[in-house]
Amino acid sequence: MAEPMKIRATLQGDVADVRILMMHPMETGQRKDSKGQVVPLHFIKNVVVTHNGKVVLDAQWSQAVSRNPFLGVRVKGAKAGDKIGVTWTDNKGDKRTDEVTVAAPS
Amino acid sequence: MKERPFNLVAAVSLCAIVTTAQAQGTDPLGVGRRMLTEDNPGELWIDKGKQLFHEKRGPKNASLEQCDFGVGPGKLEGASAQLPRYFPDTDKVQDLESRLLTCMVELQGFKREDVVKRAISPGGSSGSDMEALALYITSRSNGMKMNVSLGHQKEYDMYKAGEYLFFRRAGQTDFACVQCHGEANKRIRLQDLIHMTSKKGVQEVVSTWPAYRGAHYVVRTMQWRLYDCFWQMRLPELKYASDTSIALTTYLHYQGNGAVIKVPGFKR
Amino acid sequence: MQKAWLKWTLLGVPALIAAGCATAPDEATTRQIAEKMVREDFTAPAPALLKRLEQDRSQQICSKIAGAKLTQEEAAEVVKLARASIKYPASGKLVGDWKIGDKLAHDGAGDRIQGGRLEKRKQNGGLCQNCHGLAPGEINVGNVGPSLTGYGVQRGNSEAIAKLTYERIYNAWAYAPCSNMPRLGATGHLTPEQITHMVAYLIDPQSPINKR
Repeated sequence: MAEPMKIRATLQGDVADVRILMMHPMETGQRKDSKGQVVPLHFIKNVVVTHNGKVVLDAQWSQAVSRNPFLGVRVKGAKAGDKIGVTWTDNKGDKRTDEVTVAAPS
Repeated sequence: MKERPFNLVAAVSLCAIVTTAQAQGTDPLGVGRRMLTEDNPGELWIDKGKQLFHEKRGPKNASLEQCDFGVGPGKLEGASAQLPRYFPDTDKVQDLESRLLTCMVELQGFKREDVVKRAISPGGSSGSDMEALALYITSRSNGMKMNVSLGHQKEYDMYKAGEYLFFRRAGQTDFACVQCHGEANKRIRLQDLIHMTSKKGVQEVVSTWPAYRGAHYVVRTMQWRLYDCFWQMRLPELKYASDTSIALTTYLHYQGNGAVIKVPGFKR
Repeated sequence: MQKAWLKWTLLGVPALIAAGCATAPDEATTRQIAEKMVREDFTAPAPALLKRLEQDRSQQICSKIAGAKLTQEEAAEVVKLARASIKYPASGKLVGDWKIGDKLAHDGAGDRIQGGRLEKRKQNGGLCQNCHGLAPGEINVGNVGPSLTGYGVQRGNSEAIAKLTYERIYNAWAYAPCSNMPRLGATGHLTPEQITHMVAYLIDPQSPINKR
């Protein structure tokens, strides 16, 4: 059920400016629906960013991060054509991985 | 004790943003708004809309690839920049959403009431098919200029009716659109009001819908926006894809001709 | 010869229409088309609520299109109708409780229609904060109307000011015909009693709006 991310990675010198949009409800477990029932906890708990297969970011998130989150990462030592991979895992075990190629500055 | 360094870092970062913004002479809220438009969650629905466009759906198990948005069946590039327009097959002036409705009923066999019922999704949901489709099709006009023509008599009539409605005061608030949208630099509470009787203002309106509505976490469309205005004006509920909504859209889009389309917009 | 002329004319007319020969509809036609839309394109949980879309005489006058000007006669008529509409509270007391007025001034809810239901609360909000500055230091305030900060400081709280203030809230068009401000009392959005509380909020020296 995991929706695809939208990832952009553009080169600025030798730094890849990576911008990631994720679609996820990020439910805090405190919200009540229109019937008064608590909407269960449902959030991304881990995000891993890789550069040519090597892990460059391993983040532990909590339900404090808002719905449809955005993550910006700057990866040093990047070249045009390098692969940037992003994987998120949520508290229900759902997972999503997407990959892009670093684009040269236009 | 562990939390303090984090808070300090956050505070320093915030100060840095504000100080930088002020040093550059820019409005710090403006910096934030710009950041939101550069990385807009609404973009996630463009691919969804593209998927829905090509997918075989409904009782007739058909895609929308034969839907004519005014520049030929299945042709999307630049189509929404010329909407609303007259369609000979329905003998009506239609906007994008009413045209999608026509195709979803005629080509895919959906029941009109069913599509209308789900067209505007609940806030916090994964959005409706109509919202994703409207965004995708409009995005195929990104970078192009709004170019509505009034060559057909019904188009001209629709435009004039929309103008009349824009200024029509009613209800216990005595509001027409112009009461809130007729002057520059106005806001309701902290929500800026677009000055729609100026060229610049109306061009901003027509080029930024559909838009991601931050507070609702979904994509919203012009049909939703018009409905919501009438709600605040304490007036009855505007019917989805009604002539009233198409008339107002025709009026605004024609006034906004020349605007460069850039969707999804980002609204609060 | 004549037949050829007729043939070419008949061919020409559709060509002209196809080429975009639409003409501006006259005012009456536009009004007819638009009013039909208003009658058909809205729903409400009760037929009485649909009447909200019907314009009264003053609204018709004040719906000037694209910057058209109000004539002297029209302005006079709107003022006359507005003055005639003003009703005062049964008690005759125009200045109520500023604490209640303060709450009302910040209340933007009430009487909206959504999902087939009418938003009915104990009373309608005054909507003031949407358009007007209120107590000094509040930032979450609109600017569609002039700021009301220091209203009582500038004008005092005499009987004359109380009456003027009451009337302007009850029906702003009695003083400024076709003003952007809703005729809150005359249209029934607020009761005379509610308005007395808002008068107090504006002119009472103890009210936060008059804090220096």
